[in-house]
Amino acid sequence: MKRRNEFLVGISVLIAFAVVVGGAIWLSETDLGNPDVVHTARFREIGGLGVGAPVTLRGVKVGRVNAIRLADNDWVETDLKVRVDVVLPAKPVAIAASGSLFGEWQVTVVDLEGAPQDPELRARLAEAGAPGGDTWPGATLPDIGQLTQQASRIAGDIGLITNRVSGALDSSAIQDVRRSLHDLREAADRLAEFARRQTGPFNEVTSNLAVTSGEVGAASKRVNALLGRVDSATADGQIVDIMNSTRATAADLRSASSDAKELLALVRQHERTLTRILETTDTLLTKVQSGKGSLGLLARDSTLYLETTAVIAQMRQLLADIQANPRRYFRFSVF
Amino acid sequence: MTDRLNRIGVAQLGFIRRTGRWAADAWRALGLPRIWAPQVIPQMRRLGVDSIPIALFLAVFTGIVLALLASYIFTGAVPLYFVGALVAKTIMMELGPVLTGMALAGRVGANIAAELGTMKVTEQVDALETLAVDVHAYLVVPRTIAATVMFPVVTAMAIAVGVVSGWITATNLLDLSTQEFFKGVRQFYQFKDAWFGLVKSASFGCAIAIMGSLTGLRTQGGAEGVGRSTTRAVVLGCEAILVLDAFWALVLL
Repeated sequence: MKRRNEFLVGISVLIAFAVVVGGAIWLSETDLGNPDVVHTARFREIGGLGVGAPVTLRGVKVGRVNAIRLADNDWVETDLKVRVDVVLPAKPVAIAASGSLFGEWQVTVVDLEGAPQDPELRARLAEAGAPGGDTWPGATLPDIGQLTQQASRIAGDIGLITNRVSGALDSSAIQDVRRSLHDLREAADRLAEFARRQTGPFNEVTSNLAVTSGEVGAASKRVNALLGRVDSATADGQIVDIMNSTRATAADLRSASSDAKELLALVRQHERTLTRILETTDTLLTKVQSGKGSLGLLARDSTLYLETTAVIAQMRQLLADIQANPRRYFRFSVF
Repeated sequence: MTDRLNRIGVAQLGFIRRTGRWAADAWRALGLPRIWAPQVIPQMRRLGVDSIPIALFLAVFTGIVLALLASYIFTGAVPLYFVGALVAKTIMMELGPVLTGMALAGRVGANIAAELGTMKVTEQVDALETLAVDVHAYLVVPRTIAATVMFPVVTAMAIAVGVVSGWITATNLLDLSTQEFFKGVRQFYQFKDAWFGLVKSASFGCAIAIMGSLTGLRTQGGAEGVGRSTTRAVVLGCEAILVLDAFWALVLL
């Protein structure tokens, strides 16, 4: 009985011991063949990171957070237990972040060059790496709560801007904008039409230019030939004759130019006289318009005109009466 | 009123004095291993090994219920691999030690109180004292040591069986793969989880054995007194478990 008791107790204790030790090793994923290496990372703050949180490299779990402690100068140091066979980046940095929406934090080991381009994160990594040493620089990404808070703030700003835009763009403003767009479209259509119409003339001008260019080329050839002939004629004294004729022509031109100058002086004198006449006429007309002088009075006072018209009418009646009854007015007697 | 308060105060002082004397006797008895050592193994068998079946029975159903409950809570809201985390964490840190302790408080505490109470009312304890045998060394210390050592053993087995039953439930009754279940278990596992539960269960075993021995050795009034002592031992044992559970949670978490 005594031996049986000892055996049963012993086997129970051994089984329990094996369960506890084996379970602990299996659950903690401890590899007894490959001992872990502990690296220390320095953070300004660690968010929701806790002891036992996974350490990942390129998404693969390579270790766990072994310890977290407060350090000098407001730093937080974490011991990261990483498998010894893991090849780490050249400049490893530790980034603590929420691994999912449910608050599971983890540490991701990345190379300093491959860290996210977030300026704040980079600044924190630089700050954490400034003291140097074997400690890895560490930084924390915002968790879902902080992101939600930021998103809420951005949504509020967008709502505010939308309200302001809505207030600025009332119905009349929108109609103005639509009208402007309509006008702009019409202008664009007209411009297109203009361009279409000008395309033909432009093509014609271009072709003319081409023809002209061809003709200029031909003329150039003819000039070349002429120059060749001039060159050959130099020896016969024809050039001297030409030059003499040209000189005489130039003298004639100078004389003609002198005559033209005199003519122009005469024209200028006449122009001044004409200007004076026009100014006098203008003054006269101004006086007439303003009712000054006899002519002005005549022009502005209709009474004289009416009376004159009435006199003319009476004169016409008188003439008619004279023609009809000449004896009344004229008497011819020989004796 | 004053007399009543006076009586209560005297009773409390008497309880404290007796407990102190009892603790001093038990401490002194620890120095007599020649007396208590031969009794430890049989007590470990009776209090520990013989309690394994009931502890495992409880653990199996605890694991099943926890897996189903976690699935019911998490479905549609949280990834189901959290079922593994919840089952393992809860069984390791709380339900394993506490439910096992409660079960053993009924079985072991009652056993000790009834045995020692019967010896008390049948004057076997007096006979031992007459034979100059240290009663504490012979009766109390081996039971206390046996319970303190064997409770973690039983609890460790209960934890393992509870997690395994939760895993079997999750993979067979729920739409959860083995990989997902143990992903949750491993993701949130810390070594502290294991020793936290085992330390608690050791303290529970010690407390239950002490309560059983204390009430058993103070039994008076024949068979009726034995019944009262047994009930009292179980109640005190369960209360001690809850108090210690809160204490360890405050101190160790």
